[in-house]
Amino acid sequence: MSWPRFLRSLTLRLTLVYMALFCGSVGLMLGVTYVGGVWRPLRQVEAQIRRDSDALAATYRAQGRDALIRALERRAAAATAKTRYPYHVLTAPGGAVVAANLVDWPRAGGREWLRYEFGTYATGTEEEHEAVVRDLPLPGGYRLLVGLDTEDLDEREDLIFEALSWGAGMSAVLSVLGGLVMTYAVSQRLDRINRAARAVIAGDLSGRVALHGSGDDFDQLSATLNEMLARIEGLVASISRVSDNIAHELRTPLTRLRAELEELAEADDPGDVRERTGAALEEAQRLQSMFEALLRIARLQSGPKDAYGPVDLSRILEDAVELHRPAAEDRPLGFITRIAPDLSIHGDRDLVFQMVSNLLDNAIKFTPPGGAICLEGRPQDGRIDVSVADTGPGVPPEERGRVLERFYRGGRGEAAGFGLGLSLVAAAAERHDAELRLDDAAPGLKVTIRFRG
Amino acid sequence: MHVLVVEDDERVAGHVVKGLKGEGWLVDHVADGRQALFQVAAETYDVIVLDRMLPNVDGLKILQTMRAAGDSTPVLILSALGDVDNRVKGLRAGGDDYLTKPFAFSELLARVEALSRRKGVVQETTELGLADLQMNLLSRTVTRRGQPIELTTREFALLEYLLRNAGRVVSRSMLLEAVWDYNFDPQTNIIDQHVSRLRAKIDKDFEPPLLQTVRGMGYSLRAA
Repeated sequence: MSWPRFLRSLTLRLTLVYMALFCGSVGLMLGVTYVGGVWRPLRQVEAQIRRDSDALAATYRAQGRDALIRALERRAAAATAKTRYPYHVLTAPGGAVVAANLVDWPRAGGREWLRYEFGTYATGTEEEHEAVVRDLPLPGGYRLLVGLDTEDLDEREDLIFEALSWGAGMSAVLSVLGGLVMTYAVSQRLDRINRAARAVIAGDLSGRVALHGSGDDFDQLSATLNEMLARIEGLVASISRVSDNIAHELRTPLTRLRAELEELAEADDPGDVRERTGAALEEAQRLQSMFEALLRIARLQSGPKDAYGPVDLSRILEDAVELHRPAAEDRPLGFITRIAPDLSIHGDRDLVFQMVSNLLDNAIKFTPPGGAICLEGRPQDGRIDVSVADTGPGVPPEERGRVLERFYRGGRGEAAGFGLGLSLVAAAAERHDAELRLDDAAPGLKVTIRFRG
Repeated sequence: MHVLVVEDDERVAGHVVKGLKGEGWLVDHVADGRQALFQVAAETYDVIVLDRMLPNVDGLKILQTMRAAGDSTPVLILSALGDVDNRVKGLRAGGDDYLTKPFAFSELLARVEALSRRKGVVQETTELGLADLQMNLLSRTVTRRGQPIELTTREFALLEYLLRNAGRVVSRSMLLEAVWDYNFDPQTNIIDQHVSRLRAKIDKDFEPPLLQTVRGMGYSLRAA
């Protein structure tokens, strides 16, 4: 994992954002605690000091210095363990101390409110204390400092700041570590997908993403990608099979054509010439038909739908029956038709006729003499079913998908034609938004095209 | 009969021109779209054979220009673009018929003659016949050597088409289109069954046989 790529990682960026949010929320939480636990109590302490000091100053102004000293001593004596310890200092003009229970205070005044720390030795050991004090000048050069002990608030404040620095520091460290682990784990998983994709790009279509086995999001993504790759591989394989087949299928008629033409070049007898020419033309015709069928299938799979309109399906079915009846009778085969009147669909008339004609061709071709074929056209669940059934050998279920492939002849050899008939039906059905289904007619095959009504 | 062949491929054009001349047509040939426009405006034709892919001006463009100018000369479109959609496009642009390359000359000829009939150049007949085979289009009866022959509607239509093209080879897809009115390339011998039934009726008890199979091409009704 190179450093710049690491920095570009989405996971890392998410981690940093997450870290900032986390630290921010720790700070916010401690801030709220500070306001509730320190800031607001300090304001209350100040309010009380203001009340006390105003009352003491009033005492001084009304009753003089001694009354103030007595009031200060009463205030100090009234302190209990439950209340904040009250501090005071009274200095005469020139700075001499008149009364005080504070050891230490800022000598030079100037600011009204002071908050400072000092030590006491009341119990023999040094004790840390903090006080909030109001510095109040009195008439006649006296200076009065009145305060309350706030050591508990100080301790709480220290605690909060300590928690803040530790908390923020630790969470920063933890989220960076977590981010690294997460980034690493995610990039490992992504790397697998990347590796599989690169293998596919490099030409190995069988490459798949290795699954983690946990069934998590990445596994699901990988499984979806694998399905996609399998589908692509299948399509590519079928395309290459089709082009292999085309090359192969063209070779035979081309070879025959060439043979006929070579013999024609040597032929002297007029009857022989006519015979060879006819055979060559037959092969050319065969090639042309094959090309046309292939092109037609290809065009059906893309290309515009210019020739589409309302089509009288009942009429087409009747015509197809009429066209194929002699072939069926010659074989001989029974030909049963059940065609509902006034069936109408939206489609391409010639193409629909060709679909039905191809199905009848196949049925007649594959059904042994003495059997029967059946053409049915009827409305079904708001759609229109056209089905051709025969009493031939049928198609085993495992072969049903393949018979729709181009050039597939189900091992029946050349007697079966190009092996394009059903492919064309399948492509034309898809073109018409129709479903094509192959069923067992027990015995025989039943092919159903379900058109939209 | 005057026909204009617009085709840029020299071999194809030569084949078509030679064939039509052999059938007694007066043939003009141009190989270029702009020239074709000029020729169409300057001369009156009974039929025009028009290739779709041409240098300078597209075949369909020529057709549209002609039709816009009120020229209703029957046009047979020739094209290597053989699918249904292109066919429809060609016919919509004002073409009267459409033939896909590669084609058999006999098919081209049959179509050109059908178009010239459509224009009313050829007198509409009520009687068709070949040797001792007679067809009356009004009473819809067929006789051979004076003996009436019973035909189904379809067989009658088949024979009518063959008689109209007597002496020429007609392909299976021509028959499918003319008699059944469906346009596609039948990949099996489905038409053959109909033809052999017709043959059984008109040829079986008579000499000489009139309905010939031309290997690799189709059928021909001829007296020889």
